[in-house]
Amino acid sequence: MQRIGAFAQQLPEGNAVGILSNKNKTLPSLNDSGLTRRHFLRSSLVLAGLALLGGRLTWAEESSLVDLPFERGRRPLIAFPQKRPLMVMTTRPPQLETPFHIFNDHLLTPNDAFFVRWHLANIPTHVDINTFTLHIRGRVQRHLSFSMEELKRDFEQVELTAVCQCAGNSRGFFDPRVPGGQWGNGAMGNATWTGVRLRDLLQRAGLEANAVQVRFNGLDSPVASGTPDFRKSLDIEDALRKQVIVAYAMNGERLPLLNGYPLRLIVPGWYATYWIKMLNDIEVLSAVDEEFWMKRAYRLPADPCGCVEPGERPTSTIPLSRMTVRSFITNLQTGASIASNHPITVKGIAFDQGYGIDRVFVSVDGGQQWQSAKIGKDYGDFSFRPWEFRFIPVAGRTYQLQSFAVNRIGEAQRWHARWNPSGYLRNVVETLTLKAM
Amino acid sequence: MRCNPSLLKIYVILLLCGILPGGIIGNDHVKAESVSFPHDPATFQPGAGSSIASGYCTMCHSAEYVYMQPPHNRDQWAEIVDKMRHSFGCPIPDEHVSQLVDYLVSQNSLQFPAFSNRANMGSSSRKSEGGNPNDGRKLYSVHCVNCHGSGGKGDGPIGQALLPPPADLTAAGNKSDEELLKTIQKGRPGTAMPSWEHDLSAQDIDDLLAYLRVLSRQE
Repeated sequence: MQRIGAFAQQLPEGNAVGILSNKNKTLPSLNDSGLTRRHFLRSSLVLAGLALLGGRLTWAEESSLVDLPFERGRRPLIAFPQKRPLMVMTTRPPQLETPFHIFNDHLLTPNDAFFVRWHLANIPTHVDINTFTLHIRGRVQRHLSFSMEELKRDFEQVELTAVCQCAGNSRGFFDPRVPGGQWGNGAMGNATWTGVRLRDLLQRAGLEANAVQVRFNGLDSPVASGTPDFRKSLDIEDALRKQVIVAYAMNGERLPLLNGYPLRLIVPGWYATYWIKMLNDIEVLSAVDEEFWMKRAYRLPADPCGCVEPGERPTSTIPLSRMTVRSFITNLQTGASIASNHPITVKGIAFDQGYGIDRVFVSVDGGQQWQSAKIGKDYGDFSFRPWEFRFIPVAGRTYQLQSFAVNRIGEAQRWHARWNPSGYLRNVVETLTLKAM
Repeated sequence: MRCNPSLLKIYVILLLCGILPGGIIGNDHVKAESVSFPHDPATFQPGAGSSIASGYCTMCHSAEYVYMQPPHNRDQWAEIVDKMRHSFGCPIPDEHVSQLVDYLVSQNSLQFPAFSNRANMGSSSRKSEGGNPNDGRKLYSVHCVNCHGSGGKGDGPIGQALLPPPADLTAAGNKSDEELLKTIQKGRPGTAMPSWEHDLSAQDIDDLLAYLRVLSRQE
């Protein structure tokens, strides 16, 4: 069952990218009906009287706190520009986590609730669309630059729905704990992205024969001169995948500045580290990128599992790339009480690296018996896939709820959590304990 | 090109309702996006080595980066500090490294101070009680000189590496006491200037202010 072929397999050239031009395609509803989890969240909120600080945009007078279920997991809920209150992991540079109930309330994560993660603190707070330019340079036949207007006018517009997940999502649950951003499960989001294909841009510029990789840079920059600029590279064949797009819209609206306004690279199926925000520079390389963010950071043990024994160090590493299969129960929280003797609907989501979710199984007894969940609407192979499962709780019983997703090539979640020193690839089957009253 | 009027009507309605993505994406009503980020609340808890953390770590990131971490042992913190110095170019001098690592270990069990102290951070409109510029000069040479430079021009050895560059304090003559006190106490959002209110006493800050007045008069 554990076929983690995530590092060797090529994605099929499926029909994942829809063409927008001249089609009156409507975006799916942003508000899927369903249970909200606010009442669960509220129980874990602690009100704190926090005074106003100087400046126009400051911490709220009263800020709620959320406790993630691990040591030092307390996070204030604060509204950053263009954002609703999100869980602040760090203020500078901003790292904001989406409260988990959002994933139950919306299959497409609203822009103002979408998680935020920057590496470098010099983030432009103002971007002028009239002067903004995207450059293509390096090993190309023609160095090109595009205004936003030219991008929208001169290239086919495409749209797809894809999960954007931080490589470190769920790192806080690693045992033993590892250094890095201590995210819960909310460093992910699902959105419909609109833009132009990267490969159309590269073809316009004309790749030289010795092109090996394509490097991407955004407008953010380091504070200290010795800090490596945050740039990431894709192998040519990955950059030319037709699903890779340069997006100027997210869920039908401009990108929030904190999510990369005005342009963001979308690499469906791959972790968000490659989804360069405020993208303004595309450089075709004739040699493999040896910079810090490729050669030293975001690397996995060079092993099909991407893991080592807890506490050990890998002997060799490879760049992180494709996402593992995951599923979550979204409408229930561990420790909650449920009503007995009438059916309860367990709701959840599942996703993978883009083969698409095939089946989701649910167990209510801690994994002894499994039943198929009902798979919901298909928003595309790279999207969250909703699912539901109904059962009738018996009064007085304690239930151990688990969900287990399998994708179309048989990749599945792990029964036992893998461990690696950077806290990547978590996809273990999660367990919620519920008591029927 | 011929246009079917009824289809056009439907298109316009859909456009107005925001249902057609082309209606939003094709016409950027806003030609620029401008935001400002919340004030950085992060301060390191007072203790031996806290001023090293305030002076170097918060150049590039808020103190939350430390306080969100699970407890790390001394070797793990030493490795992190080493990474900050050698991979990220943090200019912490050799002689401060050991004390900084000790300080980080000492913070393992402490809650992020913003949760306990933030409430105290609001009322900043404190009047200077009058400081001693000579004492201020000593403090300046420890805490400020690396960024702001010996003459206050913002050209210290670290300051030259910062973007945005540190303030030119010789040009601070037109700033009120309240403005300068607030910047020292709270730091400046979105820049490497940290909050000093937990590392320096009220008297220290008054002394620094007095010395800043000397620097700005020298111009």
